[in-house]
Amino acid sequence: MQQLQIPVESRTLSNGLRVVISPDRTAPVVTVGVYYNIGFRLEPRGRSGFAHLFEHMMFQGSENAGKMVHIRLVNSSGGVLNGSTRYDVTNYFESVPSNALDRMLWLEADRMRSLRVDDENLRNQRDVVKEEVRMNVFNQPYGGFPWLDLPPIANRNWANAHNFYGDFQDLDAATLADVQSFFRTYYTPRNAVLLLVGDVQPAEGFALAEEHFSSIPAGAPPPTADVSEPAQTEERRGEVPEKLGTLPAMAIGYHVPPRRSPDWYALALADRALHEGRAGRLYRSLVLQRQNALEIAGGIHYPMGDVFDYNGPMQMVTRILYKPEYSPDQMIAAFDEVLAEVRDRPLPSPELEQIKVKLRSDYYSTLEGGLGSHVPRFGLMHYLACFTLFDGDPGLVNTALDGFLRVTPEEVHAAAGRVLRTENRSIVLRLPAAKPASQAAKN
Amino acid sequence: MPTETEAPLSPLTPPLAPESRVVWPERTHARLKCGIPVRLVEHHTIPKFSLQFFVRSGAAMEFASDRGVAGLTSTLLRTGTRARDEHGIDDELRRMGADLSAGAGADASWIVASGLSEFSAELAGLVADLARNPAFPAPQFERERRHSLEAVRLNRTSPAFLVNERFRSVLFGDHPYAVVAPTESQVEALTRDLILDFHRTHYSPANAFLLAVGDFSPPRLVEQLERAFEGWSGSEVEQPEETPLPSHFGRHVALVHTPGSVQTQIALGNIAITRDHPDWLRLTLANAIYGGAFHSRLVANIREQKGYTYSPRSGLTALRRHGYFGVHAAVRNDVVAATLAEIFYELDRVRALPVREDELSDAQAYLSGVFSLGIATLDGLAGQLATLYLYELPEDYLETYRERIRAFTLDDVLAAARAHFDSANAQIILAGDADKMEAQARLFGDVQVFDAQGKLLSSD
Repeated sequence: MQQLQIPVESRTLSNGLRVVISPDRTAPVVTVGVYYNIGFRLEPRGRSGFAHLFEHMMFQGSENAGKMVHIRLVNSSGGVLNGSTRYDVTNYFESVPSNALDRMLWLEADRMRSLRVDDENLRNQRDVVKEEVRMNVFNQPYGGFPWLDLPPIANRNWANAHNFYGDFQDLDAATLADVQSFFRTYYTPRNAVLLLVGDVQPAEGFALAEEHFSSIPAGAPPPTADVSEPAQTEERRGEVPEKLGTLPAMAIGYHVPPRRSPDWYALALADRALHEGRAGRLYRSLVLQRQNALEIAGGIHYPMGDVFDYNGPMQMVTRILYKPEYSPDQMIAAFDEVLAEVRDRPLPSPELEQIKVKLRSDYYSTLEGGLGSHVPRFGLMHYLACFTLFDGDPGLVNTALDGFLRVTPEEVHAAAGRVLRTENRSIVLRLPAAKPASQAAKN
Repeated sequence: MPTETEAPLSPLTPPLAPESRVVWPERTHARLKCGIPVRLVEHHTIPKFSLQFFVRSGAAMEFASDRGVAGLTSTLLRTGTRARDEHGIDDELRRMGADLSAGAGADASWIVASGLSEFSAELAGLVADLARNPAFPAPQFERERRHSLEAVRLNRTSPAFLVNERFRSVLFGDHPYAVVAPTESQVEALTRDLILDFHRTHYSPANAFLLAVGDFSPPRLVEQLERAFEGWSGSEVEQPEETPLPSHFGRHVALVHTPGSVQTQIALGNIAITRDHPDWLRLTLANAIYGGAFHSRLVANIREQKGYTYSPRSGLTALRRHGYFGVHAAVRNDVVAATLAEIFYELDRVRALPVREDELSDAQAYLSGVFSLGIATLDGLAGQLATLYLYELPEDYLETYRERIRAFTLDDVLAAARAHFDSANAQIILAGDADKMEAQARLFGDVQVFDAQGKLLSSD
């Protein structure tokens, strides 16, 4: 079995900014990322959706790169750029031919040092974000399902249970003062990591990082926040009307054990046995054999991420679109039967071995691949950032799989028994508002 | 002068360093004894490889009576062969750490697999078996037909699907490119015999090509492919007669009425050109300046200045025989007319006046840089090569792309925009609530209103 060894070098600047470099000379391009250790979990109460709205503001102008200039300088250097807001991080990244590295670091440092935005920018981006939400949620069949629907039902801590995209009245209430305060609190060097992945010599990369970032004041440590979720003791259920789609849908979520605990590794393999592809037990049983479902997908942190890129309470989620002639209870019963197979006896060894091979193969592709086809090594950058911010060790990128590959069938069985319990789950139904005549239950 | 929304560049902006040399992927060409041409490209970043099998027949080769047959045929390939059953195939793929998908577009059908290099011979054997010996088991046929039926029903609830479907239908008229998905009754009419026929006719070594990208030794992989496809035979596929395209005079609006929608999806554009047209790269450049990049006129205007939309974009779509130009945006209902006005304003401006020198050089740098990014990953490279061979572009297309883009002048951009952005005859498609925006739509042309099922509700 070939092992992949990714070169990783890291340093911390005097202001606390961590810098991680992974050189790769395959192509003369480099992907630059800045990850801030703040996601939508920690946005202020009464300001749902703010972390994401703020992400938009980071493209509106900084001291030396005013409105549209950041975007122009990336595009006209031959590059692409984007950002995203997740549970526990917000990221900003650009991929460019490597001759633009200096310029990209200057741009990222400029907006880390000095966000320069006004009310007009805020109004403009609030409008843009509302169209984003309309497009992805309100005007989209199963929009936001289940990433917006399940958390309010499954969780009790506001950090984990609120509307992450934002209620429109909260977006309207956001002020420029909120923007500046959020920036000062969380967008500090000590709360961030800078990643350089691709065609860069580490010595040169560290020197450029020092030159552009080291004079930015460290800032105060961000306040510690409690994102813990009380243990769940009984099943929770909810329902959200589906206004557009023709098929009934449901999502089922189980709270998973803490990251990097023995049960977490083992449960992740149970998750793959259930959800990974057409050979996954849920797809095989409910879509291919019994044929009561039409689409099934899921996993830990589905559909927003995977096992590596979150840091706090999380769920293993299954999303099902099923045929209108079945009732929700029939679907839950069918789901339970498949789950029982994994919970009540150890997985056959050959199945677990196949799952491990596929896990390793998928991991390689994630590290090498891009976001779409234009952000090469996005996956590597993303994992390096998460391992740095959450675990303090970007080198985990070379050993992160080990804990999963050691798991035995008995450990999967034991973890599944502890986690996949009815009282640890939540179910949200998303049923078409106008039910077709064939909706009547079969039995 | 920068756009109205744009601040000036700071003198502190670091200059670009000298460019590094781009190393172009070396291609190995081979032809299997059964006649299939093979292109192989080594890319040794991870111990994996991607194998793509294509036949040059997709939905455009269907008979009008059998819409959906190409797609369903490809879906069914993995559900069983003479020697393998469905679950065995899925287990085998997982054992090799492999993913496999099969599908059909307008011009081609494909099986794309990627897996760990150590299993290259087995994966090649599996792909060949699916291509050559599918059994199309009757129960799987019934299951997948039902799935297709639910999928086409569900499609009609998606504004993005509805606007695109109507756009293609208006642009292409009676041409097969007009159809993006079969109707419910067309799916219901499909039979297993039609699937068997489509496979027999179109899945033939004389109509196929193979593409491999990744971590392997080309001579060894060719040997493995040779064994996998040994003894396969089949005849050439007859090309159907070309259906003429409709002519479009003046702007017309087709409105797909989706009551209660909180947003309107806009698509507008015209028939343009294919990749082998001499103007293709000039027009690509004009499009990048107009609306094909984040830093383009359209995005600066209707997103960054006016906040009408989240994701405006213009683009060129090139199929094998025809291509088209499209502008897309999803906007709130009360700014439909305002958005259309800006879309046409920017379109007319890029046709009327030369762009600025710096806009030209920015867009040239953008396209040549993005081209390098696009071939830096295994999947990106495989995608570029698939386009190259599917559309039979010149063999030096990759190597010459950047220098050709950089050689164009302001006059080239102006000429391409004038020739192929047909503002006066653009066809406008809107999907949304007619009660909220039909009056706005009528400012831009006569309006035909359809429901989501495609039924004509009213016509000016």
